[in-house]
Amino acid sequence: MLSYASNLIKLARNDRHLNPSVAIYYVTTQCNLNCAYCEDFGARRNDHAEPPLPLHQAMQVLRVIRSGVDSLFITGGEPFLHPDIDELLMRAKHELKFREMTLITNGFLLPKHATALSAIDRLIVSLDSLNAQSWSPIIGIPFASTKSIHANIRNYAECQKEFGYQMMVNAVLSPEILSGAEALLEFCMEHHLLISFSPQAVNNWVRYELMVSSEYRAFIEKLIAYKKHGAPIAGSIAYLQTLINFQPYDCYPTLAPRIMPNGDLTYPCRPFEKANNGQGGRPVNLLNVKTWDEAWSKAYTAYGQPPHTCHSCFQQCYIEPSLMQSHPLTFLHEYLLYPSSRKGNLRTYAAG
Amino acid sequence: MPPDEPSRQDDVLIIGAGMAGLSAALHLVERGLKPLVLEADPRFIGGRLASGEEVEVGGWHFRLEHGVHGIWSQYRNLQSMLARHHLRPVFTPSQEELWIYRDSHDTRMASVGSAIRYSIFPAPVHYIQLFLRPRFWWMIDLRDISRMFHVWSLLIMSVGIDPFREDQPMEGLTLGDAVKNWTPAIRAFFIGLARSGFSTHAEEIPLSGFLAFLRFYTILRRDAWAFSYLPEDGGRSVTEPLADKVRELGGEIRLGKKVLRLERGSIWKVYCGEEIFSAKQIILAVDASAASSIIKNSFNETDLYFPRSLANDIIRLWFDCAPKSGPESGMFTGNFVMHNFFWLDRIYASYRKWNKATGGSAIEVHVYGPPDVLQKADVALLAQVITEFYQVYPELRGHLIHQHLQRNAATHTLPSLGSKERHLGIKTRWTNLFCAGDWVRDPMPSFFLERACATGIKAANEVLKTRGLNEWPLVDYLPPESFVGWIEKLMVTGRKRRIAKRNARK
Repeated sequence: MLSYASNLIKLARNDRHLNPSVAIYYVTTQCNLNCAYCEDFGARRNDHAEPPLPLHQAMQVLRVIRSGVDSLFITGGEPFLHPDIDELLMRAKHELKFREMTLITNGFLLPKHATALSAIDRLIVSLDSLNAQSWSPIIGIPFASTKSIHANIRNYAECQKEFGYQMMVNAVLSPEILSGAEALLEFCMEHHLLISFSPQAVNNWVRYELMVSSEYRAFIEKLIAYKKHGAPIAGSIAYLQTLINFQPYDCYPTLAPRIMPNGDLTYPCRPFEKANNGQGGRPVNLLNVKTWDEAWSKAYTAYGQPPHTCHSCFQQCYIEPSLMQSHPLTFLHEYLLYPSSRKGNLRTYAAG
Repeated sequence: MPPDEPSRQDDVLIIGAGMAGLSAALHLVERGLKPLVLEADPRFIGGRLASGEEVEVGGWHFRLEHGVHGIWSQYRNLQSMLARHHLRPVFTPSQEELWIYRDSHDTRMASVGSAIRYSIFPAPVHYIQLFLRPRFWWMIDLRDISRMFHVWSLLIMSVGIDPFREDQPMEGLTLGDAVKNWTPAIRAFFIGLARSGFSTHAEEIPLSGFLAFLRFYTILRRDAWAFSYLPEDGGRSVTEPLADKVRELGGEIRLGKKVLRLERGSIWKVYCGEEIFSAKQIILAVDASAASSIIKNSFNETDLYFPRSLANDIIRLWFDCAPKSGPESGMFTGNFVMHNFFWLDRIYASYRKWNKATGGSAIEVHVYGPPDVLQKADVALLAQVITEFYQVYPELRGHLIHQHLQRNAATHTLPSLGSKERHLGIKTRWTNLFCAGDWVRDPMPSFFLERACATGIKAANEVLKTRGLNEWPLVDYLPPESFVGWIEKLMVTGRKRRIAKRNARK
């Protein structure tokens, strides 16, 4: 709350270098799936993937993060491909005492790591379609493996109470799966899962076929109506409304900074870091600093204020915290009017 | 081969490899056609978004270009097309725009751009945010405030009238007429805004074009004013990769082929100096003045309307140090010969690298006229610009290390609307001849690069339609914000009722 208030003051002073509300650590960029829409990682890029850090160094990275941020997202690639992921999760929770921990996985290896699930507060699983036949070519694995992901999701949805985590499904909306998206929502309601939707991005821009699709627009409008009636759809109504026409939004990427497997802090966001055109980059490695503040001020010295919005990727992980932070009245209004929106806060938006 | 026999025959021939021609070509090759694109320039692809020669400053090389630096948030078809082929660069979002105003007393400046796009007030009253900035009060005086009614009437007029969609050429009316009675500072502000878009002075800007410009870029949405810079010159960032993609998918682009005239028969013949090409279908995607000349040479048509094409001058100055502070771009208004400026070391990656290595800075200044200024000798124009520049940035006096003057030919379109019969649209009166470009008559609201791209797609669609192939849907432009949308609806309904009443009386 303090951080939120201090960011509001910063915004009023036209300071865009906002304090993070969560940190997102890519423990490995290796992946066992080969999703066609993934522009960052995927099995086809494993040869070029950065090697994961050994446990003691990964813990050092988390220690630095913890000195400034108490909410952590562990993601990848596929985080379960990190050789020490179970121990890393347990120690992050019990030794470093992160207040909130979220794990983002594709769900394929869940059964091998069940014990680590007690360490996390939220489990986000990627699931785009219930139709294994049409989904398996999209994620680049055999039909049987796709079926086993479906089975894992069903099984671990049942274990939410037992392990004490909240489970959420994250679906990438593409023209190929649009027709089955409503069935996915029903599946989530049936299994007490939250669900979030992000439109497929191509080259940091929403896929053309979605932009010109009236079915897509109708689906998002339907989602807004469902959410207003209490459907377990993650993300705010304000976010969903942004997705109807893809209107520009003001982005504050430093609210959710990314840390790469080797400990590099990306600044101010992945697209600018990857473009490497002087507006962003990897100014500091967390293994070389003692505290988060030190890393954060080094990043600021290197690149200064994050640029004004590029308002183009339309990914929930960037839009949602930015909207929540910069439009407090919109969210207050939503909070008061629609009880279902009370399930989310700045730390629990769906990361893509 | 007989002298008037074509050297080759193509299915589709596109004249011009600017944004319109390349967009049309890309949408055709994606559907399996193999168009031939002819470009008059012998070296550079991209028209107004092409790269130019290199200039050397202290061992560093910088590519010159026409002076188009970026895109607006409403350029949605252009961005979608680039993204679909992974050609969309990571842009440099604009931070702020500075308004510099000089009257007979002194020079004043205020940051204005972010107030317009991030206003807390809804459109169309979002300009109120400007008055929350103390610096803005310093720019204006009591006269401006007392006559603010004039400004609001023009703004509201632009909400109620959509000249492109409603087919309202407003012939004979210019922005100059509309702002005649305005007070100096506010008039300078609006004329500055208009000149940034239209590259000419108020007396030359058609009122229909200006109203449509306000609608597309600012009055209907706050975020329409969001601008993003290309990471490098337009050729390297956009048009050269786009041309490579066209070639990769089977299209052919030939440089140095200036088309002089067309001839209609069972197929089209395209005369290009000594060489003759032929094709079943032609897309004419050159700028307005070149299109006018080709059409006149081909059909002896003298009554057609073509929007004017304008020339401008670009001056680039390199310094061995950077200015104290200030936004990366802005406009000069009032008693200046210069009109726009861009600090290149804050926009382009190559200049940024140079700035990091040397501490130097580089500015690009645009001069849009009037003609007597553009006709000045190089030395006289440079001297005047540099003298004026030092009055605004005195700290850079004595630090100039290089200067460059570029004279741009008259290719920049002055957006305007002619009557339906005289102004060519995408489909023309000649079968299998289509037009594309930002000068083409079409009800869509967009301008410049986006209009060139969208008309290119529409022209490609016309070709695809005749062949029974799937057409490309266009991306919609964002609707007006709700408050301004409501005002617009009210005004349009009111006008309709008034017209109906008048007709009933008759």
